[in-house]
Amino acid sequence: MEAYFIAIGIIALIYVILSLGLTLQYGLTGLINFGHVGFFAIGAYTSALLALKGVPLVLSFAAAAALAGLAAWPIGLVSLRLRDDYFAIVTLGFSEVVRIVITSERWLTNGVQGVPGIPRLYDSLGGSVAQLAVLVTVLAVTLVGVWIIRRIAGSPFGRLIEAIRDNEEAVQALGKDPARFKIQVLVVGAALAGIAGAFYAHYITYIVPDQFIPLVTFYVWMAIIMGGVGRVSGAIVGTAILMLFLEGSRFLRDIVPGVSEVDMASVRIGAVGLLLVLFIMYRPQGLMGDYTKR
Amino acid sequence: MFYAQLLVNGLVQGLVIGLAALSITLVFGIARFPNAATGDFMTFGAYSALSAHKVTGSIAMGGLAAIIATGVISLLAYLAVFRRLAERSVVALLVASIGIAFFIRAVLGVAFGHSQQVFQVPLSRPYVFGSVRITPLDLQLALVALAALALVFAILYLTPIGRQMRAVADNRDLARVSGIRPDRVMIALWLLAGSVAGVAGMMLGIKTIVTPEFGWEMLLPAFTAAILGGIGSPVGAVVAGLILGVVQEVSTPLVGFTYKIALAFIIMLAVLLIRPRGLFGRVEGAR
Repeated sequence: MEAYFIAIGIIALIYVILSLGLTLQYGLTGLINFGHVGFFAIGAYTSALLALKGVPLVLSFAAAAALAGLAAWPIGLVSLRLRDDYFAIVTLGFSEVVRIVITSERWLTNGVQGVPGIPRLYDSLGGSVAQLAVLVTVLAVTLVGVWIIRRIAGSPFGRLIEAIRDNEEAVQALGKDPARFKIQVLVVGAALAGIAGAFYAHYITYIVPDQFIPLVTFYVWMAIIMGGVGRVSGAIVGTAILMLFLEGSRFLRDIVPGVSEVDMASVRIGAVGLLLVLFIMYRPQGLMGDYTKR
Repeated sequence: MFYAQLLVNGLVQGLVIGLAALSITLVFGIARFPNAATGDFMTFGAYSALSAHKVTGSIAMGGLAAIIATGVISLLAYLAVFRRLAERSVVALLVASIGIAFFIRAVLGVAFGHSQQVFQVPLSRPYVFGSVRITPLDLQLALVALAALALVFAILYLTPIGRQMRAVADNRDLARVSGIRPDRVMIALWLLAGSVAGVAGMMLGIKTIVTPEFGWEMLLPAFTAAILGGIGSPVGAVVAGLILGVVQEVSTPLVGFTYKIALAFIIMLAVLLIRPRGLFGRVEGAR
């Protein structure tokens, strides 16, 4: 039972890191990133493949963050000159292309068979101690992430990116270049997703392209919309609900007999869709959101 | 001559993309947001056609079912969700369309299962022109697509409601003060956009294998064609769909089968950077 809670805790914290990235990008800056899972995938594969080549995990994690951030840079350059809705389509397309590349380039990623045997963190400690150590590490990284986002939100930089979200023309009129700030935000958010991907790869120890479908992106969107867009507390509360939902749907299968795994996957997708629509319609500010404005 | 064959295959594929892009561009031009549920509307159309075909044994009835059922689903999505979000930001509509896409896919997955399904159409001898072979089925599909396109363009350019739709697309406020009732225009729009997506879904289903995900995978090429054609331009969407279909097929020997979708993405980026208003777009463009 303890092991189960530790496992849930690790996965939940990985989702928190993902939603922190999206909070920075969408919540604070208003960038509609529909391709978050692409950066998550880049982080996961980068760290996994490097670690299997014998690179120390500290370096492979750093490489995961760097490469994910680097991948966001050209996407930013290209598409930040576009309107919001086009940016959403381009990022969604980007994450699909990432998945196509990791599916096709078998020499590098082993294609649909995936990458097995990815080394665990703290493997030498063994068993439950190692698990606990992983949990503590992810928690520490998450807290650093929370601290960074809060620092950013309270800094002049944070006020500027929030101004970009609220009125981009006004920011331009004041002589600031919104594109530069947007690219920085995009890169930092993608690097966070890359770190989350690295933790995921080394925790699950086996990654295949099918784990990086757009649905993951919208799990994260669901979390921040439910929790309250633009708030760190919202990202955390939203992720907690998301985990309850994902784990709960697994227990539901044990209770209700005769439901196959593919059916359950359908029910899960349907519930995500329904929740997205309902929250957008009836509680756009989320559970922890600012109730004074819509 | 090998490429001539690919050209023919590409044209049929291009008609499917063109129809999907037409659905996207109509909604984008008039309701002003990129409808990410278009792909799953296509899937819905394919399953509707499949069911009707199984019951009646007639492809024509399948097509009719796809047109009606998908038109209705699309209208329901508008009445239940999009209409209530009309005054909100683009992101609200966009996220809601993703939600609807997931919901439709889930319902189809539970109702029809996840196994691959195919249309049982009789095999027939292809017509041979030199080294190019055209199957009667491809020819029929092309005719169906052309008929659907002719009907849509007739509605858009020859009927009062079509004129009103184009007026709203051009300038919503001006249309309103001219006495055009936005409600009627929107209902016509969503029926039309749904039906067109339904036909595209049925065609794709006949050409390939139907699964609950297969429409979603067409979303990127369809968006690319809509952008390449110029957002809001119905003619552009169809022309760009044909171009994209041919380019994808002809490039397959060079870049491989799996990179077809990636190619669409590259084309989308290139268009957005070099000519954001697309081939036939209005001057306001994508930026």
